[in-house]
Amino acid sequence: SQGIIERDETPMEKEIARLHRVDFEFSDIFYFCRKGFEAIVEDEVTQRFSSEELVSWNLLTRTNVNFHYISLRLTVVWVIGVVVRYCFLLPLRFTLATIGITSMIVGATVVGQLPNSSVKNYLSELVHLTCSRILVRALSGTIHYHNKENKPQKGGICVANHTSPIDAIILTNDGCYAMVGQVHGGLMGVIQRATVKACPHVWFERSEIKDRHLVTKRLREHVADKSKLPILIFPEGTCINNTSVMMFKKGSFEIGGTIYPVAIKYDPQFGDAFWNSSKYNIVSYLLRIMTSWAIVCNVWYLPPMVKKEDEDAVQFANRVRSAIAHQGGLTELPWDGGLKRAKVKDTFKEEQQKNYSKMLVRNGSIG
Amino acid sequence: VGPQGSSPPVPSLFPPLTVTSEQIEHLHRRFKQLSRDQLTIRKENFDSIPDLEFNPIRGKIVHAFFDKRNLRQESDGLVDEINFEDFLTIMSYFRPIEMNMDEEQLDRFRKEKLKFLFHMYDSDHDGKITVQEYRNVVEELLSGNPHLEKESARSIADGAMMEAASICAGQMGPDQVYEGITFEDFLKMWQGIDIETKMHVRFLNMETIAHCY
Repeated sequence: SQGIIERDETPMEKEIARLHRVDFEFSDIFYFCRKGFEAIVEDEVTQRFSSEELVSWNLLTRTNVNFHYISLRLTVVWVIGVVVRYCFLLPLRFTLATIGITSMIVGATVVGQLPNSSVKNYLSELVHLTCSRILVRALSGTIHYHNKENKPQKGGICVANHTSPIDAIILTNDGCYAMVGQVHGGLMGVIQRATVKACPHVWFERSEIKDRHLVTKRLREHVADKSKLPILIFPEGTCINNTSVMMFKKGSFEIGGTIYPVAIKYDPQFGDAFWNSSKYNIVSYLLRIMTSWAIVCNVWYLPPMVKKEDEDAVQFANRVRSAIAHQGGLTELPWDGGLKRAKVKDTFKEEQQKNYSKMLVRNGSIG
Repeated sequence: VGPQGSSPPVPSLFPPLTVTSEQIEHLHRRFKQLSRDQLTIRKENFDSIPDLEFNPIRGKIVHAFFDKRNLRQESDGLVDEINFEDFLTIMSYFRPIEMNMDEEQLDRFRKEKLKFLFHMYDSDHDGKITVQEYRNVVEELLSGNPHLEKESARSIADGAMMEAASICAGQMGPDQVYEGITFEDFLKMWQGIDIETKMHVRFLNMETIAHCY
């Protein structure tokens, strides 16, 4: 990962042994002092919640944090870029997006009137796929799908890393999924209500989400029915900046069934897809996406996985996460995405203290 | 003409910092991140660093940032908030040795780092590390272990203080009481031990951003 300071990765025992003249010493504090300072200058977690920085500029001021005037020629090129993006691409994309969303709502409502039958399912899939494709065009999305033979099957659960709200559209461009999510108000709510008539998406009321057992039960029922479309879940729970994969919440892995992992990696050269929800609201985010050059990404379908007899949900979640990180070229972090907003638990600090004192006892400095 | 990025004010520090402007920009960005775009940082802002939570002496490290003695201020005690210049001042205690330093500079360098450490131990700012203060540090480092009793932590601290006393005040008479380790004694303890390489944070060489001309 791109860090700014050189970190000494020697383990604590070795480092402290080097410092020792005798047993417990004033010097032991050095190790912790330095580690503390390194953490203050740069920590692994916080940098994941801001956009990745590019080595060479892609003519979007938003990706160059240290933007400053370099040359006249570059500025002229940049101005032309702005004109193209805002006056030409944006209206085009906006029109397409409107067409896409309208057809989705109208199409889904119309199909929803039909009685349940295979014709209905076929038409519903057609509507969803077509509208997804229109929406992807509206974002100028260029998506490369790899290993299509591993595409999620009916009755399975599709699991992917989360970078932005458009992840769902990227995936539905290539297949039909049953979405899982909270019921929203406004335009999103209208879309949700329309689509659920045509296809069995799983929308939860806000109060239901709090009840984990209810959620698990409903999802289990859905998965047990082999004729239903695969569910799409993002287990990180929040948007990460696409350079790493954070902890997967184990709830998705307790439902049972086959897990189809999918790795999504965006190419930052053409546009930054990461949604920093603490900095931008959804409207400014969509505006930024629509005024980027394009959304280019790679999607890898990984071979299906099942929970083994001897592993629990957490270990299974970690196994799936490793596979996704490995395929997408992302680093793995054991931290919880919830750290975007919350503090670290005290148990972690106690761990480190325990390790240190265990070391002292071993060295025999205590009787 | 493109918009100007906000460049941080480069303070004048004594002794002068030989870090590149890029490193200062990085630190400034980090400062803004920690302060949530305010001009100053308070103690609470350090709570947002998950990696720091691991550290058993976290309290002392954060405390060190607000210690007036470290900020080279004349008075004593703690400040409530620090600005970017103060932040850089504290960071300067951790810069690595440069090749072109002469004897005098190296010696001063070393003293600065040891002084910083001394302030960490000496929590009541009286210029001496007493047994009680030392015990505090040991307890903090070991407090997470439930099997270790307070007595053991105490005996470790006492043992180390006796060792220190023998080095510093070997010539003490039998009826003299050892009050505490002064800074001079502290320096004596570290003679011959290379601490400069243990107490630094080294910046990686930044790759140059491709410009087009």
